[in-house]
Amino acid sequence: MLNNKNIYKPIRAKLTNVIDESQLIKTFVLVPEDKFSFKTGQFIELSVDGIGEAPFTPSSSPLVTEKLEVTVMKTGYVTEYMHMLKPGVEMGIRGPYGRGYPVEKFFGKEVLILGGGCGLAPIRSLLYALEDIKDRLVKVILCYGSKTPADCIYKPLFDRLNSTEKFEAHRTVDKADEDWDGSVGVATTLLNKIRINIENSVAVVCGPPIMMKFGAIRLLEMGYKDDQIYLSMEKNMSCGLGKCGHCMMGEFFVCKDGPVFTYDEIKHNPEIWR
Amino acid sequence: MKLTKDELKNIGFFDNYNDEQLKIFIGISSIKEFKVKDILFEQYDELSDVYVLLSGCLSLGISLAKEKRIRLGTLEEGQLFSWSAVFSPYISTAWVMATCPTKVLAIDAKKLNLEFEKNCEFGFKTMSKIAQTISHRLSDTRFQLMNQLTL
Ligand SMILES: Cc1cc2nc3c(=O)[nH]c(=O)nc-3n(C[C@H](O)[C@H](O)[C@H](O)COP(=O)(O)OP(=O)(O)OC[C@H]3O[C@@H](n4cnc5c(N)ncnc54)[C@H](O)[C@@H]3O)c2cc1C
Ligand code: FES
Repeated sequence: MLNNKNIYKPIRAKLTNVIDESQLIKTFVLVPEDKFSFKTGQFIELSVDGIGEAPFTPSSSPLVTEKLEVTVMKTGYVTEYMHMLKPGVEMGIRGPYGRGYPVEKFFGKEVLILGGGCGLAPIRSLLYALEDIKDRLVKVILCYGSKTPADCIYKPLFDRLNSTEKFEAHRTVDKADEDWDGSVGVATTLLNKIRINIENSVAVVCGPPIMMKFGAIRLLEMGYKDDQIYLSMEKNMSCGLGKCGHCMMGEFFVCKDGPVFTYDEIKHNPEIWR
Repeated sequence: MKLTKDELKNIGFFDNYNDEQLKIFIGISSIKEFKVKDILFEQYDELSDVYVLLSGCLSLGISLAKEKRIRLGTLEEGQLFSWSAVFSPYISTAWVMATCPTKVLAIDAKKLNLEFEKNCEFGFKTMSKIAQTISHRLSDTRFQLMNQLTL
């Protein structure tokens, strides 16, 4: 359900904290003027007054409605400006939009999550949601890759998950530094070490386009079927409502029909990895 | 030192083998231990064992010149490596070094090839698994390369 009465009008939210996650990534803690609900994997349009708006998937728990966290990588005009904001300013939020993760379909299953870079933001929200229903899951495995140890976000999350029943979390970096004694290699190399019952499993992939492509191919090689793989697609968006056509991917409006799709739904789409 | 059938069943690579086939592996393999900085093998070494990492940490890389080691990545527990030992000319394409105390299962590659000749089903299954390992290494390397190119 939309939190805004007028679908085009943002509600106001106060920025109460800004957390440095890495050199290029910050988490913005927002307190909306009204309670704000969303389903994990759905996205919002976040606006900076006088600058513009951009789509982001909340990285906080969907069970918390008083506060919203959004983790943002600095990539261009709006995000660069956001990185300069200090607590106290007001921002606008529209949404939530789109189709998130169908967590009810994960009941009774093993959930494998493959993430890379800033893709851990939506995944963190999914992990909160899965922790809440962990009694109904068999297990949850997170495999996450970042470029360097300094680029790895939410570092305490990994220890917390590894001490949570039914959860395990693995990390790797493309390029190690002197202090790093963990795995080195792209995110998919972590799939070599996990034990999972593929028949009774679903896999979620979220990260940069290259990782999504190689991740999906690798999962298929491992024996996952097309409809067991969930991909969170990021396409340039504008309205977020299925009206403007900015986000079209073949016959799909990514903003309305996605951003979460099964591989089965979009595998024939020529724009899938673009 | 040898692994038991049950211990082998807990290692990813040995999924889907029956007890008879696991016994073959036990008969032709042994556990080897390495200390920090031990080199298991160098690039271009002639290999006689196929390894599976049981515990510890191993780095894998290539050498440009004798002094210049380029570290490509780490190997994960349960992962098979040094597969060049099974195929002619049995020459390694990379070096592998222990970066913490490490235990590996060393499978005698000559004996393994003889078992393939005696038992086609076992041979086909194992060669398929080795091919999958190589295919994963190749796609990981492509992924790594694309990442480097888009840095
Ligand atoms: C559903 C959805 C959820 C998202 N969630 C997050 C999130 O949680 N955290 C986060 O940091 N980012 C997220 N993004 C990406 C984010 O929306 C873009 O980084 C942002 O719009 C860039 O805005 P900008 O004005 O700073 O960049 P611009 O100045 O508009 O563009 C700078 C560069 O970024 C590229 N770019 C712009 N939009 C996108 C996009 N949507 N996807 C990929 N590249 C883009 C442009 O092509 C250009 O190369 C999400 C995108 C979508 C569609
Ligand atoms: S963003 Fe406008 S139709 Fe999807």
